[in-house]
Amino acid sequence: MNGFVIATIAMLIAAVPCGIVVCRGEIMASVVAYEAISSIAVMVLVLLSEGFRRPGEFELPVLLAVLLFGSGLVFVRFLERWL
Amino acid sequence: MSGREVVADCLLGLAVAVVLASSVGILVMRDVYQKLHYVTPAALVAPIVVGLAILAQSGLTANTAETALALVFIVIAGPFLSHATIRAARIRETGDWRRGRATGSRDGSPGDRA
Repeated sequence: MNGFVIATIAMLIAAVPCGIVVCRGEIMASVVAYEAISSIAVMVLVLLSEGFRRPGEFELPVLLAVLLFGSGLVFVRFLERWL
Repeated sequence: MSGREVVADCLLGLAVAVVLASSVGILVMRDVYQKLHYVTPAALVAPIVVGLAILAQSGLTANTAETALALVFIVIAGPFLSHATIRAARIRETGDWRRGRATGSRDGSPGDRA
């Protein structure tokens, strides 16, 4: 287990307070916590790819970063207008 | 343990500390506007530090380039998402993002002075 894998586990543990806000906060606070978790998820995938030395898996965080940008905007747009 | 690994581990520790502080800040702060301040370090500072850690560990490789690409997307998306979230929160709260929350607000909108 190298430093990258340990950092991955630590980041996942660090995301727990955001998870609490997602589960128990009001809806806009949950969206804010979701945005933080999405950034953490991209970093976790990068760290896992580097930690396990799998170059092919570096494409996942790139795709996730692009998709999370779009999905975040769709989320807030829906919350702004309809939900 | 080589010097590169020591530098990478220090940077990873810094990134984890930033993420932890941001996460606790999001939990502790009271309203959406305050919570949103704590997304920025997790979405802007920590990805850059992680990218530097991978650069220190691997040097200039294809992996580093793909990491930089992913992190650039996060860093670009963060301010846009923050702005859109504040706008949505404001519209949900007041019905229009240009309207002040209370009389005497600092945005100087005509509706508030009346």
